[in-house]
Amino acid sequence: MKVNPELIDEIKKYGAFDISACFNCGNCTAVCPLSKEDASFPRKLIRAGHVGMEEKITSAIEPWHCYYCGECSSTCPREAQPGEYMMALRRYLIAKYDITGLSRIFYKNGWLQTWLALGLLAGFYLLYSSYTGDFGALAGKIELAFPVYVTIALGGYIINMYRYAIVKPLGGIKASLKPAHIYETFVHGFTQKNFNGCEETDWTRWIAHLLVMSGYVLTLLISNLHLLSPLDKQYSAFSPVSLLVWYAGLAILIGGGVMSLRRVFKSAESSKFSHPSDWLFVATMFLIGASLLFTHYLNVAYGPQDPLLAKVYRLNIAIETVWILLIVPFTKWIHIFFRPLAVYFQHVKREAAAGTAFGFNLSR
Amino acid sequence: MRELEKIEVDTLVVGSGIAGLQAALDLADQGYSVAIVEKAPSIGGKMISLSKVFPTLDCASCITTPRMASVSHHPRIKTLTYSTVDAIKREGKTFTASVTRKPRYIDEKECISCKRCEEVCPVYLPDEYEQGLGAKKTISIPFTNAIPQLPVMHPEHCIRCGACARACPKDCIEFLQEPAPVEIKAKAVILATGYETTPMTAKKQYGLGKLPNVISPMAAERLLAPHGPYGRVLRPSDGMVPGSIAYVQCAGSRDKSIGVPYCSRVCCMYAIKQAILLSGSLPIADITIYYMDIRAFGKGYEQFYNNARAMGINFVKAKVARITEDEKHNPILRIERQEGDSAPAEVKHELVVLSQGLLPGCDVSKFNLGAGLNDFGFVQLSDETVSSAVTAGAGVFAAGVVKGPRDIPDSVVDAGSAAMEAASYIRKL
Ligand SMILES: Cc1cc2nc3c(=O)[nH]c(=O)nc-3n(C[C@H](O)[C@H](O)[C@H](O)COP(=O)(O)OP(=O)(O)OC[C@H]3O[C@@H](n4cnc5c(N)ncnc54)[C@H](O)[C@@H]3O)c2cc1C
Ligand code: SF4
Ligand code: SF4
Ligand code: SF4
Ligand code: SF4
Repeated sequence: MKVNPELIDEIKKYGAFDISACFNCGNCTAVCPLSKEDASFPRKLIRAGHVGMEEKITSAIEPWHCYYCGECSSTCPREAQPGEYMMALRRYLIAKYDITGLSRIFYKNGWLQTWLALGLLAGFYLLYSSYTGDFGALAGKIELAFPVYVTIALGGYIINMYRYAIVKPLGGIKASLKPAHIYETFVHGFTQKNFNGCEETDWTRWIAHLLVMSGYVLTLLISNLHLLSPLDKQYSAFSPVSLLVWYAGLAILIGGGVMSLRRVFKSAESSKFSHPSDWLFVATMFLIGASLLFTHYLNVAYGPQDPLLAKVYRLNIAIETVWILLIVPFTKWIHIFFRPLAVYFQHVKREAAAGTAFGFNLSR
Repeated sequence: MRELEKIEVDTLVVGSGIAGLQAALDLADQGYSVAIVEKAPSIGGKMISLSKVFPTLDCASCITTPRMASVSHHPRIKTLTYSTVDAIKREGKTFTASVTRKPRYIDEKECISCKRCEEVCPVYLPDEYEQGLGAKKTISIPFTNAIPQLPVMHPEHCIRCGACARACPKDCIEFLQEPAPVEIKAKAVILATGYETTPMTAKKQYGLGKLPNVISPMAAERLLAPHGPYGRVLRPSDGMVPGSIAYVQCAGSRDKSIGVPYCSRVCCMYAIKQAILLSGSLPIADITIYYMDIRAFGKGYEQFYNNARAMGINFVKAKVARITEDEKHNPILRIERQEGDSAPAEVKHELVVLSQGLLPGCDVSKFNLGAGLNDFGFVQLSDETVSSAVTAGAGVFAAGVVKGPRDIPDSVVDAGSAAMEAASYIRKL
């Protein structure tokens, strides 16, 4: 196997500055509630990082099994922050899977992504403000373009993840067609249920996540199904769509607020280290919730012709545009897709090891 | 308070473990007078409660008792037990120590150590000398080979039945005895306050001392001692003879998460020693030592370790991350198996010993003697390359574990060095 002596320094650029203190005792793996017989981490991956086994790291799916409960970091005898190392590996892997190379640049250059986001936001706001036609109709089209863009971005990621995690290490295209495996993958995708595999369930974190997730999914539905056209008609405060909006906006604000507070006060292992992209993610989420709520409030209170509403709605769409273009593909958001995929790939690896996987070998 | 007792000597030795005993003897044999102050009711320190010692497997009390006896009978050594050093003042070239003799509630001069009081006392307490594994009476002589052989009464448990007073042939029970102040003037001070082991509650993941079959290494020493609490090795929860015993190395050291980052030096060796002794007393038991690395640091120690391996003791490289128990109180260890395809695993044993580390036995900075402490509270030497006993405080010397974790041979050697340095310091005054 080829060895890359710079590997550990490379990984450190994505966080995990203390990992050189590790003396390879295995406490982290033993204490980790999610580490398993056939998916043993973090120590093995730390070791692989230290000795430069690049392929072991790039083909690893274990980082996606880790939910950063922080047990390992708080009990590591060397305070080497193995949990943060797992987080750094996830960033490193995203950068690997990302064909555009943008993730790598963003992760390594602190606040660059934030400045870019601010710039883009200003740009899109001006652009949308200067549009003289029917903005409501344009907004509808923009929102319809979102899922197409995200699907393409995600597709690229998934193909690359498959390449790194399955095709390269197993030397072929492998899959598992067992219904149970496919079902489990979906269950993990919807519930992110391993969260509660952690020893001491961090309820605040879980509820905050649940609020943000549900609020966010609703916001997606509302905008992508174009349920709202606030510039065309007036909604009543208790119409079904309004209720959805109130919930979605508030859930994002409250959940996002709790998450930010935890980052500020570093109240759990998982929120001790914040990468600028984490802040960007939370802040933008917050803005989406706030602008959605405000838009709808103006519509309900003053009707579709309100001049402030016209401005706020454009801002709302501008924020969503930046979110989709820059935040969704290049931050933690994407984790929610890698996690269930990792569950599936684990099954594929297991099947491949047992020789029962579906697929064919590529000659090298 | 009783009347102030005044003592004037050349050297004050604080602590009567093997280091303090040796330093006192070396000085007294050279003609210097010594006062040795010990907070426990008997001299002897930790060593007197050990079973046997590595790497020779000599009986610990057979080595310690003669030294204890020499100290207590030495014409130039004044021994104060069950006494605390409250303060030490430096005035010019003399140190003045304020010491308090705690009340034993007996007349120490009259008592003839007949144990009649102990025999008749109806109240039992957990025996801390046996690490809580046995029981003692509310009025009792601390242990069989304690020196002095004087009983101590624990008034907080006494029911004032008066049986001891009636039984005592010398009429020496004094229910109203008060603490007695002592003033010791000395020209030099030797600090030999030793260590305490890391508390059982130090690491949350190890059960906080609530798992009955997870015991301290001192308790294991007592189980192995010929005159220990049960006279044989039984496990605490149900008195069963354990068939599988595990040692958890670095349970109280080399762990930043409990604030003890340093290696305690002796715990690898005492674990190996205990494992060897256990395989002697329980020939069919499985014994496993979970370690990060084995630090067999002294002469002949590697050989000792290899002997243990050859005897069939299992050495597994793994840091134990968590200890739980099943419904029968069998401890379950969670580790990562690192051989082959490494993976997390749970292993069940019947008795588990935590190889705890050594923490400073006393915060000597409270005496303001000018001796610096390192980050972990051990006395810092002024220049380790020049002397193994001289501290930054003039006339203040250190011996034994007070300077940092070390074994008995090393403690004895540097007790000799402390005595020599103190003698030359006094001569130059
Ligand atoms: C479980 C276990 C097994 C061990 N087995 C071995 C072995 O087999 N071989 C070996 O070489 N080493 C062994 N060791 C190490 C050994 O115990 C020490 O090296 C040795 O006992 C140190 O002696 P000491 O005099 O420095 O300290 P101690 O024995 O701790 O003596 C210090 C004395 O000072 C007293 N004291 C503390 N503070 C005050 C105060 N303020 N005023 C008055 N008195 C005070 C204490 O009561 C104590 O009596 C073992 C250690 C442990 C924990
Ligand atoms: S990260 Fe910490 S717990 Fe994990 S192997 Fe390294 S030192 Fe041990
Ligand atoms: S953060 Fe939690 S889930 Fe992740 S490796 Fe550490 S212990 Fe395991
Ligand atoms: S008076 Fe107290 S110490 Fe004496 S025998 Fe009764 S209970 Fe024991
Ligand atoms: S002596 Fe051994 S058990 Fe003790 S701290 Fe050092 S390595 Fe750990």
